[in-house]
Amino acid sequence: MKRFFTVRHTLCLFLLAAIIFSCVATYYKIAYWGFSFRPHEKTDVWTIDAHIIFEPTGEPIEVSLSTPRIGNEYKILSEDVIAAGYDVRKDDKNYRMFMSSKALRKKQNIYYRIMLYDNEDTAGKIRDDRAPTIQKPVFENEQQEGMVNAIWELSEKIDGETKAERIIKLLNQDVLEPEVDAFLPVRKTPKIMAEKIIYLLSVKKIAARVIRGVYLKEKRHAASADLMLEVYEGSKWKVYNIFTGEEGLPKNFVVFQRGGVSLLDVAGGRNSQVKFSVIKSVISSFKMAGRRAKYENSRLFNYTIYNLPMHEQNTLKWLMIFPLGILLVVLMRNVIGISTMGTFTPMLVAMSLVKTGFFPGLICFGLIIAFGLLIRTWLTRLNLLLVPRISAVVIFVILIMQFLTIFGYQFDFKIAASAVFFPIIITAWIIERACITWEEDGAKNATKQIVNTSIVAVVTYLVISNDYIRHVMFAFNEWNFVILLLVMLLGTYTGYRLTELKRFAPLVKEK
Amino acid sequence: MWPFDAFVSPKKLRAAGVLGMNARNYKVISHFNKRSLYPLVDDKVQTKTLANKIDINTPKMIGVVEHQYEVTDFLSIVKGHSEFVVKPAHGSQGKGVLVIKKYADGVFTTASGKVLKFKEVYQHISNILSGLYSLGGQYDVALIEELVHFSDAFQNFSYQGIPDVRVIVYKGYPAMSMMRLATKESEGRANLHQGAVGVGLDMRTGRAINAVSHNVPISIHPDTQADLMTLQVPLWKEHLMIGAQAYEMTGLGYLGADIVLDKERGPMMLELNARPGLAIQIANGFGLRDVLKKIDKKYPKNLSAEERVEYVLNNG
Repeated sequence: MKRFFTVRHTLCLFLLAAIIFSCVATYYKIAYWGFSFRPHEKTDVWTIDAHIIFEPTGEPIEVSLSTPRIGNEYKILSEDVIAAGYDVRKDDKNYRMFMSSKALRKKQNIYYRIMLYDNEDTAGKIRDDRAPTIQKPVFENEQQEGMVNAIWELSEKIDGETKAERIIKLLNQDVLEPEVDAFLPVRKTPKIMAEKIIYLLSVKKIAARVIRGVYLKEKRHAASADLMLEVYEGSKWKVYNIFTGEEGLPKNFVVFQRGGVSLLDVAGGRNSQVKFSVIKSVISSFKMAGRRAKYENSRLFNYTIYNLPMHEQNTLKWLMIFPLGILLVVLMRNVIGISTMGTFTPMLVAMSLVKTGFFPGLICFGLIIAFGLLIRTWLTRLNLLLVPRISAVVIFVILIMQFLTIFGYQFDFKIAASAVFFPIIITAWIIERACITWEEDGAKNATKQIVNTSIVAVVTYLVISNDYIRHVMFAFNEWNFVILLLVMLLGTYTGYRLTELKRFAPLVKEK
Repeated sequence: MWPFDAFVSPKKLRAAGVLGMNARNYKVISHFNKRSLYPLVDDKVQTKTLANKIDINTPKMIGVVEHQYEVTDFLSIVKGHSEFVVKPAHGSQGKGVLVIKKYADGVFTTASGKVLKFKEVYQHISNILSGLYSLGGQYDVALIEELVHFSDAFQNFSYQGIPDVRVIVYKGYPAMSMMRLATKESEGRANLHQGAVGVGLDMRTGRAINAVSHNVPISIHPDTQADLMTLQVPLWKEHLMIGAQAYEMTGLGYLGADIVLDKERGPMMLELNARPGLAIQIANGFGLRDVLKKIDKKYPKNLSAEERVEYVLNNG
């Protein structure tokens, strides 16, 4: 038992727990908050404006509009009615918006606006066990009966799984059969087509009805409602496209009215109509996360960094990348075995490079170090005490940065302007250490140290500047627990460092 | 199989019994060296005081300069001494050591023959106090001690500088040792990474068994052309005794003792190190890991320092 609970085993156990926790948290964030691994994921937000127009008749007005039901098909961001002077009431059960007013005179304009996002594919089938009663139509004359029968006969030859599908396809062929052509009027509006299909289906005692809604398409302005057909098949209402016969509710179709109810009712008005406009806007997925969480009743969200004001979020986003940088430093030192100047110096340099940009930053940093070393060499001869000397180097670094920035501006040399982003104290210490190493261990060792530090800084830069990695470390910050435990576990790593495989190579006797 | 010729596989290193840096830090130092004991060896003044208590030979202390205002009194401290060494109490790797071979009429002559005035020596001590040579730059004190007249036994083996013996002591048992010889490249200093020659010594006899320069095995000193394999450290048992006693003195389970051989006074402890490096393995041509393992498993416990040294001399 005692052996089982070694530091390493305990840490491994914790690491396993952290990995499981992170996986669960990641899944939760993706599934319920809509987080994504991609950094610039966007969410489409659709704004549908229903514009109701009517002329009052002089009686008290009551307008009611059927509205989209809240289901799995999409999430509702906001719902709003602009109707000055009206009492607005919403019937949540029947998804109907009521607007009432006393008698008015002028032509009335009422706007209903709904914003939707995350529209998803759904089957669009509604189960309904109460089979609708259907009256077989009485034919006006034999000629009509013959035509209808001919159409049904023709429909047998069409590919399609259901009768409804075959009929719809037949009626929408590019070149219409003569019988069909005779049956359909010249003006084929969606409404007329729907009526004709319903009529044909009723002959075979198949119940069908029209549903009204809006296609989520851009540049749609003041158009009347789009229609789809709903056919009762096997105790389910199934949705069909009037023009293609395709079954199922499309992802981009928002149903406003279905079933027996009307789309718009206006009491106390005449010439009423409703026009729909659709506008698409794109919002960063991330910003929608809070809404989604609210939708899922996920209170947890309030206690995450994503619920903070933007400024704090950005600061934390910057911080969340550090653990990964630290892990890299630990790997570089304890597993690879590269010795650098100061433990976290390369990471701090890498952070500056993120702000300055890679090549400008590197060139600028090189210049500062080079000038700094020249000045430091001169300071050596003065034999100053340690604290005043390093202080002098700090001030020189500031002056070098100032000159680089000024000259950079004058000669329109943008690289130099990045000078100010380097941490002054760290830069001064790099110069100090490089100089001491130079004096004590020779130029070769000093150069090696600088090169090592630069290599580690560049590798760290490549990791922490990556947009993708930064996004993942911020959006799925629970993985920092895993990194923490990895770092701790590396604290128990007693294997050889990569560089030691070379250093101690002479000790391996070749047989 | 292995893509880089310069690298060997970890498996082979383990088979050779090599102790890596991570294993040293985690399995050895963190287990056997209590942090609170470090000051005993990091501060040379404390080390010296402790050593004198149990009669370990060290260069005699002439005085200590602790504060900046005392630097002016420096001359009264060294009064009557014509030669001495000034070193930072917290220095490492021989940094900031000033060897005065001759001091007369206010003129100081260093080991390399440079002539210094009081002002320059003053500056040097001042630098020591401000922490120029100490780790992390903390304030330090300057230690002034007698000069070691190192034995002629190694005259041909070292290019200037002081050759010293480094003994690694594990749980009180001298485990591995080497002699470090200065070269032209190392500028009189005895650090292997600065180009000094490391000569592995047989634990029973103090005789050379292997020599390296920059990780490459050699048999002849690059500057003096001396045959390194003929090197034999005199008074070997006394060398090991210093190492073994350092264990009781400090309580450090893993330490490195740097020992120099004085012409008249015999082996003297120069300094102790709580984190001795691993280059000694290369100098010896074999790994330290197996040696430590052997000490853990086979060597008897609860022996006195002398008994331990005897044990090593007979069984090591």
